[in-house]
Amino acid sequence: MTIPLSNNLPPVNEIDRLIHEPARLLIMAHLYMLEAADFLYLMNQTGLTFGNLSGHMTRLEEAGYIEVEKSFVDKRPNTRLSLTDAGRRAFEEYRKNMRGLLA
Amino acid sequence: MSDEIDLEEIERRALTTYNEDGLLDIFIGGYLLFIGLMSFTQFEHRSILVSILPGLGVLLYNEVKKLVTYPRIGYMKFTKERRARVARNSIIVMGVTGFVTLTGLFTGMGAPESAPWGVLLINKYNLLFQGGVLAFIFFMLGKIMSVERLCRYSVLSLLVFPAGYLYLDSPYVVTPQNMGTQCAIIGVVMVGYGALHLRRFIVRYPKEV
Repeated sequence: MTIPLSNNLPPVNEIDRLIHEPARLLIMAHLYMLEAADFLYLMNQTGLTFGNLSGHMTRLEEAGYIEVEKSFVDKRPNTRLSLTDAGRRAFEEYRKNMRGLLA
Repeated sequence: MSDEIDLEEIERRALTTYNEDGLLDIFIGGYLLFIGLMSFTQFEHRSILVSILPGLGVLLYNEVKKLVTYPRIGYMKFTKERRARVARNSIIVMGVTGFVTLTGLFTGMGAPESAPWGVLLINKYNLLFQGGVLAFIFFMLGKIMSVERLCRYSVLSLLVFPAGYLYLDSPYVVTPQNMGTQCAIIGVVMVGYGALHLRRFIVRYPKEV
């Protein structure tokens, strides 16, 4: 049995797959609501492990969605993350597309 | 997926975690306790000390936050828009409260028999007036900062201040000692409750080694 394709299909291919991954979506959503957050904060809030968060952080940084700033706070390494303008726009676009798709 | 991400919930959780340490309660409670204790001293410059202490308290609060909170839950910064909104609303609340309090105190203190009924009412029921003002501050700050505990202190203020009519020597006379006693009671409760929260926070979020 074949299902006829409608001309009014929502733009599924417009969904940003990089953001669509649940863990990355969670990271993006947190950073969207905040100006900046450090690694420890995101680990606590998202429940992701160090390795997991680190991997997703790299993917998002490579895509230019987040900015990663490494520094030392009280002689301890500190990694601070924030959304770039492109990341903010991409997240807003993603939400808009998802709303359209699920409507 | 998008529907499963509730952005407001994320912001609310960020606020809850940020204030889970109980430091806000300890600092505000400590300040009220200080006001209470100072009202029983004869220290000449106590009003100056009481008015500059909040500024010093904010500096100290930020330093303690860096020592206790950030190493445990990490650091985050709210958006500029949110910080500006909180600052603006807090200034409005403090301005309104300051105006109402000063008006109440000036009109209430030592009002002659011929004073308008409103002034006499504030004078007679000054404890109710003070409790109402403090409850208003707690309620508004609780709403602005999204800290539910502050709203509970609002209820506490509405209970503690009128209770003064039961045990204070001269509750119908405006004295710094009357207000001081009630402030000290609320302060002790807040410091205790804050310390309890701080203990729970430290156990729940051990410091990363």
